[in-house]
Amino acid sequence: MKIAVCIKRVPDMDVRFKIAAIGNAVDEAGLKFDMNDFDSWAVEAALQIKDRDAATEVVIVSLGTDAVQETIRKALAMGADRGVELKTDHIPFDGLAIARALAAELKDGGYDLVLFGKQSADSSNGVVGAMVGELLGLPLVTAISKLEISGQKGSAKREIEGGQEFVEFPLPAVLTIDQGLNIARYPALKGIMAAKKKPLEVKPAQLGAQTVTVTQMELPPERAPGRIIGEGVAAVPELVRLLQTEAKVL
Amino acid sequence: MTIGRGVFIFVVVVTLAFFSYNAQRLVRYMRTVGRPDDRSDNPVTRIRNLILIGFGQTKILRDPVAGSLHALVFWGFVVLTIGTGEIIISGLFPGFSYAMILPGPIYALYTLSQELFALLVLAAVTVLLYRRIVVKPARLQGDKVHSGDAILILSMIGALMVSLLSLGAFEFALHPGSGTIFQPISLALSHALTGLPTWGLEAGRATSWWFHALLILIFLNYLPYSKHLHVLTSLPNTYLSNTSGPGVKGAMSYMDLEAEGVEHFGASDVTQLGWKNLLDSYSCTECGRCTAACPAHITGKLLSPRKIMINTRQRLMELAPLATGDFGEFEHPQLSAGEGGDAGDATATAALQNTLLDNYITEEELWACTSCRACVQECPVSIDQLDIINELRRSLVLMESRFPPEIQPAFESMERNGSPWAFNPGDRGKWAEGMDIPTMAEMIERGERPEVLFWVGCMGSFDDRAKKIAVAFARVLQAAHVRFAILGQEEKCNGDPARRMGNEYLYQMLARDNIETLDRYGVETIVTNCPHCFHQIGNEYPQLGGNYEVIHHSTYIEKLLEENRLPLNGEGKQLTVAYHDSCYLGRYNDVYEAPRETLRRSLPMMTLVEPPRTRSKALCCGAGGGRMWMEETVGKRINAERTEELLATGADVLAVACPFCMTMIGDGVKGQDSDVPVYDISEVVAQQLL
Repeated sequence: MKIAVCIKRVPDMDVRFKIAAIGNAVDEAGLKFDMNDFDSWAVEAALQIKDRDAATEVVIVSLGTDAVQETIRKALAMGADRGVELKTDHIPFDGLAIARALAAELKDGGYDLVLFGKQSADSSNGVVGAMVGELLGLPLVTAISKLEISGQKGSAKREIEGGQEFVEFPLPAVLTIDQGLNIARYPALKGIMAAKKKPLEVKPAQLGAQTVTVTQMELPPERAPGRIIGEGVAAVPELVRLLQTEAKVL
Repeated sequence: MTIGRGVFIFVVVVTLAFFSYNAQRLVRYMRTVGRPDDRSDNPVTRIRNLILIGFGQTKILRDPVAGSLHALVFWGFVVLTIGTGEIIISGLFPGFSYAMILPGPIYALYTLSQELFALLVLAAVTVLLYRRIVVKPARLQGDKVHSGDAILILSMIGALMVSLLSLGAFEFALHPGSGTIFQPISLALSHALTGLPTWGLEAGRATSWWFHALLILIFLNYLPYSKHLHVLTSLPNTYLSNTSGPGVKGAMSYMDLEAEGVEHFGASDVTQLGWKNLLDSYSCTECGRCTAACPAHITGKLLSPRKIMINTRQRLMELAPLATGDFGEFEHPQLSAGEGGDAGDATATAALQNTLLDNYITEEELWACTSCRACVQECPVSIDQLDIINELRRSLVLMESRFPPEIQPAFESMERNGSPWAFNPGDRGKWAEGMDIPTMAEMIERGERPEVLFWVGCMGSFDDRAKKIAVAFARVLQAAHVRFAILGQEEKCNGDPARRMGNEYLYQMLARDNIETLDRYGVETIVTNCPHCFHQIGNEYPQLGGNYEVIHHSTYIEKLLEENRLPLNGEGKQLTVAYHDSCYLGRYNDVYEAPRETLRRSLPMMTLVEPPRTRSKALCCGAGGGRMWMEETVGKRINAERTEELLATGADVLAVACPFCMTMIGDGVKGQDSDVPVYDISEVVAQQLL
């Protein structure tokens, strides 16, 4: 079996972001970058298939600047076989442009499965995987939290509002991965050493026309700090009054 | 005596040859299977260890009863070995006596020492046999741990003493008047024999001599088959024990991650351990002091440091004959049997496939370790059980990514955020807001240099309770007008949790980042309230080229108090305080007095009380070795056990000097529904500031 996993390099979300001087992008100074969490679960899903069938080839594809090589190497350290960097000078906001570039790379690759995280932590559009499925003309299942592949058929579970949905699909197929499918493995030093020697191909990304652009970015309004009214029973009347008059929740 | 002499020479040659064969076999196992490990450094510390721990028996005396008895037997052995020489030489050259080469008074002293020690050893051996057979102390028991070998050895020693004394008694009975007051015991015994006929006395003397001389040679040849091999290995083992130099203990071994040709990181089998780890395994006498002191074992976890050592020896005995092509293999039951399994039954194929990890030592045992060093501290022959645990953990993590799932977020967070918790690294200096504490960058920009850098650590920076410790210590520094700075968001986790959890790769990444930052600012002196930061930066960063003077805040505050630099409310409160020793401060760095002295000086009317396990015998809080980030589901919680001991002292206040101990003991107190406050020593001082 041949599996492609498309991954994105995103900033670590545990920081406080600043907006860059140009006003429509995040200031990247001091940010730490790592593999998008949803994508790491997609890599893990592919590696679990490889664990069961050693003949499986897992190919990592990532679009971005040369910095994505570090992220691709991490996936290789986890156990993927080789990597492809689709090189651009920046990652565009337009999901369709990204999807076209990825589809161009994937279409003649002979992949049985193409896996994505269901969305990226930074732009959170959640469209690229679905668009690639459409561009490749393949069956598409999004946001899966359980996956089984047997032969040329697959079945998956999706968490939907108020319930669960079970779907079946033939291979080849495009899948996007939700939280809960698995826990991504931690790359061992042995894997990190081995990853340095694995092939990583660099190709120009065929992005084409970009129709959607970000014009401006703003931080959410500062939240007013909490207030301590008092302690114990004595503070209750004042609390009730404020909840009625100020917060207007009672 | 010519036939007798001929027989004796033959016996001596055969037994010494057989002993030499076995001794070289064991040395060859150790050196062929084990990896190289240079132990030629720090000769002064080594000789000191040999004299104090080896000949002085200081560590075995930590158990006053069994320790005193053992010390008597040991010193007796040393003294009586001189006499053994006389007996063996006299067998080869009849009529030989030390009296021929020693001046009279010295020979008299020598004979007295032989007599007295023979009696003392006999008495000690009798009590030790009573202990083994009747009392059966808990620490000598265990899965597949048998006393048979010990009883045999003790009986042999006893028989040696009896035959030594009877030899003298028959001699003096044959030649009345030849004994002196410097042989009082033999002389007294000889009076009981005066009624016997001469042939009887001669037969008695010959029997005593042959019995004694042959038993010595049998004893010597039995040792390589016995767990009492320590009789031969303990002194070299003590000399060669882990030492990173004066004042530095417990530093984990350096690991070159870029080394060419290295295919295995850490150890999953004896072939990846150093030869000294294997010598350690020969030296283990299964006394169980390590296991009896182990917090994991005490609270019902699977870990037993003694089992780690026995398993290492078992695995060595299983693999080494195959690895060295030793076809003259003899049975060695006591070396391959013992706690947790038998190594003798495996076929050659199985023996080659087995590994120390998994076949002998399970993952669960290894992750139960808090790295508290109590096992290493207690071992009378200076075995380093922890070194093997650390190497096996390294292999689990670096080679296989096998570890409790709950520590993965800690690893990932250390890598992404520079702290084991997912806090925003930009908030690292937030605890200091409004306190007018400059960062290193700000101070350098103003053209100033600090006296000391305050290394806050991740707990002091992010943990709500520990932030109060950071604030208290900063207030103490400010009150003493110490010019200090912090690194703010340039500080990262020192890497200790990653290193102790086996993730050397992540550790070196963090440590090198920190060293780069510290060197960029030319930092020389660092003071920190966290014993883990203190030990790591001071004792382990030098391996990576980071050399700084690192002072724990207990030592630093004690110095400020001694120099009267702190304006204190002189009277203080009348309190009873129990101080809990941190492992990384105490056992790792011998800092026991500074935190206590800090308490005494800041609270002159305080009464300091100690729990039964204190100072170098203190029980760990349960957080070390990365246990802070792991679930504790088996047995009793270590922090609960420790907190009960501390509360049982009846103290009004519990004092700690480590933010991790603060969390564990603080939780323990809450778990007991107690309202006894837990303070860091710096908080106690800060409360007394005028």
